[in-house]
Amino acid sequence: MNAPLPSLSDRVSALPGCDKALVRVLFGASLLALALGVGFGWLTALGRAGVAVFEPQQAARLLTLHGVTVFFYWLYLAQTALLLVLAGAERNGGGLALRSLAWIGGALMLAGFAVSEIASITGTPLLYDGGPALGRDDPAAVGWFSLGYLLLGAGLAASSASAIATVITRRNGGAGGALSAVGFALFAWAGFLIVSAIAAVNAFLPSVLWALGRGAFPANQPTEWHILFHNLHYLPLMATVVVWYVLVQALTGVSSMHGARFSKIVFASYLLFVPPTSLYHMFLEPNLSETVRVVGSLLSLFVAVPTVMAFLIIVSSLEAHGRSRGASGRLGWVGALPWKNPVMAAIACAALNLGLGLTFAFVLIQEKLAPLFSDTFFVPGYFHFFAVGTVSLSFLAAMMVVLPALTGSAPWRPALLCRMPAVISLGLLIFGAAGIAAGYAGVPRRTFDISYGGGAPALWHTLMTAVGIGGTVFALGLTVLVLGVARSLLPGPKDSVVQQPVVSWGDTPLRSQVAAWTGPAGVVLVVVAMALFTIVAFDLMNALPLTVIGGGGHSH
Amino acid sequence: MKEDALLILLVFVVWAALALIYALVPSLGMPGYVRVWGAGAMLFLGLAGLLAVVRR
Amino acid sequence: MSENRHFTTRRGFITGMGFGAVGLYGVWAAYGAAPLPFGNHHETLHQGHGDAAGTLGHAGADHDAGSAMTPEAFRREHAAFVDRFKRPDGSVEPVAGQAVSHDTGHHDMNAHDMGHHDVDAHDMGYHDMDAHGAGHHDMNAHGAEDGHDMSGHAMSHTAHGADADQPVDLYLLAFMWGYNPDILRLRTGVRYRLRMMADDITHGASFQLGAASRIIRLRPDSVSDQIITFTKPGTVLIYCTVYCGAGHDQMQGKIIVTASEQGGQP
Ligand SMILES: [Cu+2]
Repeated sequence: MNAPLPSLSDRVSALPGCDKALVRVLFGASLLALALGVGFGWLTALGRAGVAVFEPQQAARLLTLHGVTVFFYWLYLAQTALLLVLAGAERNGGGLALRSLAWIGGALMLAGFAVSEIASITGTPLLYDGGPALGRDDPAAVGWFSLGYLLLGAGLAASSASAIATVITRRNGGAGGALSAVGFALFAWAGFLIVSAIAAVNAFLPSVLWALGRGAFPANQPTEWHILFHNLHYLPLMATVVVWYVLVQALTGVSSMHGARFSKIVFASYLLFVPPTSLYHMFLEPNLSETVRVVGSLLSLFVAVPTVMAFLIIVSSLEAHGRSRGASGRLGWVGALPWKNPVMAAIACAALNLGLGLTFAFVLIQEKLAPLFSDTFFVPGYFHFFAVGTVSLSFLAAMMVVLPALTGSAPWRPALLCRMPAVISLGLLIFGAAGIAAGYAGVPRRTFDISYGGGAPALWHTLMTAVGIGGTVFALGLTVLVLGVARSLLPGPKDSVVQQPVVSWGDTPLRSQVAAWTGPAGVVLVVVAMALFTIVAFDLMNALPLTVIGGGGHSH
Repeated sequence: MKEDALLILLVFVVWAALALIYALVPSLGMPGYVRVWGAGAMLFLGLAGLLAVVRR
Repeated sequence: MSENRHFTTRRGFITGMGFGAVGLYGVWAAYGAAPLPFGNHHETLHQGHGDAAGTLGHAGADHDAGSAMTPEAFRREHAAFVDRFKRPDGSVEPVAGQAVSHDTGHHDMNAHDMGHHDVDAHDMGYHDMDAHGAGHHDMNAHGAEDGHDMSGHAMSHTAHGADADQPVDLYLLAFMWGYNPDILRLRTGVRYRLRMMADDITHGASFQLGAASRIIRLRPDSVSDQIITFTKPGTVLIYCTVYCGAGHDQMQGKIIVTASEQGGQP
């Protein structure tokens, strides 16, 4: 194990000024992207609920802006900022290596942000996947839109290279010069981000070339897109788990009781499981072979292995330490956590939302159920549990620790922020339950006017109204949280007096034979829920007044 | 550094094997997998090498 | 340090729990949907087998050699189908019984030919191959056991006799922004081979069946086949589930399903 480091906050405040400036810019840009994206998303939800009526073209533009802004720029800017600041903190005082590359990367990503937003506002709306078929008559729109993602990819690669260099040239290296568990996780995460950049080039360079008149029409773009897309939603989960690992240590002093090597194996397993599990996005593609479809479905069962293992490492270590300190009862150790700290509230809600997201993700990976759900509102219904409830809450939680350390400002109204994760989760629960039910009922995913001249079931409208209500609740909670977090970016009242509550369980020696059942019980609960909703889906499908042989299903 | 390098090397092996399968069985119809997982494999090979040679 | 550990805090236990979701395989198996690799053991339940690949011209599928229906052939057949079965109110109602009786005993008797009395010899030959190819493909995809309800069985083994199990061919073309035909009149209990294609860009052709829908994605110039049978009368909304531009929301059609007199094959 490595020599104990000063606290995360201390290491972040010890970063050189120029590194602090860079990550402040990146955090600020990411929060801007989140705020904009939440706004676009909220309008989208109102449109879907029928409360606001948009011209078809404007509705598609809103959807495009929402997806591009949150899915690409919020998630990638936040990841880059967190990666760099944690890598810098890992180096303990040395600051970023290859600093100029990190700055160039940041500049490229911001340029990409601007290009993508402008292209989405002015061009033919292409949705966030930038499908060139929709812009066949508007090559300029396709070209600029795709260029935005290429710039983002180039920026990601450059920033990640700096993070990698930073982690491996860390001072105060541990025994044998091995990386710490967190250092290794940052290293693997940065490598994965570079792969994302490669996937972006693979998917979007042909579109740019076509727009320039230098290449054929990129008819394969939808297939190439799904490779990027798979990275895109796998990566933030890995980042989330790394963030939990770091934050739990900061909140409680507890690091894994299972040793650094085991954590490293789990982080490495993210990378091992990515490529084999990527096929389920293709299930509805008519030209996917049956063999690939079947094997893809089987392999997808393994998609959550690293996440569940990382969750269990963290929770069992916490529970064992909490119980060793004398916490009793089934959940006594949970009650003893620092709940007055908004960071704690956020990561706890993130863990619950992860369970909900996983439950429904595993209904969708069954290739025979894909024709029931793909391209319905089931998809946004469940993935907001991940994107908002798990990933965004975790990233914001990390920012609540990191930003005050960067700027020296006190956290803004922690008592208020402490409630926001629950508000957001409640909104998500309404949004997700109604959205998933709407998916089961067949509500199309990207259609604003779902009346079909009276041909659609009346239930569709009711469910989408509930989606609008849930969306409004979590958009409000998220806005308050974003503003509160962003407040710490600016210089403000000093945080010398009010230290956020933490506990220090790390020094407690572990009692022998101390059990940790909470995590495993949670996993069992989630698997039972997966089975239940899968059964509901099969029964629903088998009860339909139509029997079908042939045809595929796909999630996109 | 040794365990770190070995783990990343393992990533290279899995990615390279998958890229190879998709390259050798073109009927799977996923040339993009060959490019992305293949390039990724090369990246992780490089990163494993980096971990192996960096001394502090 | 680990001798004193409770088993819930051991690495092996955590690793095992990490694979917990794989247990879902049991549920899949219970519904006959367990994806055993290399697919020789599929049960035929109501759900499809996703084998539309075999009827496409794309090199992507691994068992579709020779079975492709080209977009040109689709367009020709589609036009003939609409021509042949169009009713005065604009809806299209394939009348399988007529076509079948007309052709009874013909070697190549299958529903495929019904819209098609004016074809030349070359065309006929093409369609023979087509039917065979599709049959072989289906056999591969499904495995040959329990083929009672299978298109492959019907196509390649019984197509040569006059057999009431022949599916009736339907053609549905999705375009910006509608379906042709946009009103189909069908019967319960009749096996239809629904052939679908997108004309311009990617569309969906999803059927709203009351409690839920069946979603399909249609790529331009790729023909997708499904063998479908309606089990209850009613009106089915067809709608597009892939965003396809300004008129996407308006893109719809319908199928009016009425009960067959004898509830079986016509
Ligand atoms: Cu459409």
